[in-house]
Amino acid sequence: MPFPQRKQTSNSKFGNKRNNGFAHKKRRIYQSRRGCIFCKDSGKVPNYKDPKLLRAFITERGKIIPKRITGTCAKHQRLLAHEIKRARTIALLPYVGTLDYM
Amino acid sequence: MRRYETIIIINPDASADDRGVILEKVATMITKDTGLLVSQDEWGDKNLAYKIKKKSRGYYILFDYCGTGELVKELERGFKFDERVLKYMTVLLDKDIDLDSIKEEMSKKEAEAAEAESEKDIPDNSKTEEVVAEAPQSENDNKE
Repeated sequence: MPFPQRKQTSNSKFGNKRNNGFAHKKRRIYQSRRGCIFCKDSGKVPNYKDPKLLRAFITERGKIIPKRITGTCAKHQRLLAHEIKRARTIALLPYVGTLDYM
Repeated sequence: MRRYETIIIINPDASADDRGVILEKVATMITKDTGLLVSQDEWGDKNLAYKIKKKSRGYYILFDYCGTGELVKELERGFKFDERVLKYMTVLLDKDIDLDSIKEEMSKKEAEAAEAESEKDIPDNSKTEEVVAEAPQSENDNKE
């Protein structure tokens, strides 16, 4: 998938207190925003009829991922949220995803 | 006149005849007064993201049409009382459209589709030949 995974809160390697000093460094690693993919590709607009694409912007549990993580611009994030909600209405995307779905 | 898009999920256990009845009904309703059915797309049997009326699969059909708000009301009333339709959703695509330009677009698309079909055989053959011709060259490059 072209998007960064969700923030891992506990990592056995960095989970202990000694490494808390690296917290700011760690955050920078996870902030891998690559810019808005809809702006890069002018022909691409979020659409509820394309659940495959929209799946990249929701979590396994079905929640919409904030733009600070995916890097989508404000305009497209607005459209995206609307289209995801439409897709949910017509059962193309789940309201509440199970972890073993997909 | 406005342009709408309605997507409906039909019970997957319904027969093809049943689906035909629904399609026909919708088409006649739309064209009854001044409406225009632009396109009708059957997505077929798909998995639902959540269960609807205890069904985990559904048959999706998409209608793209022009009409008035009254028409949408009428269509949705029809879907509501039809037990074969599990769920429906209507989306407004355009608030003010010009019927003639859409008709032109439709005829253009049809012509293009017809052309593509008639020309299908020729370009396909040439493509495969090109690939065959290129393949040995690249191998030689690698060796050098």
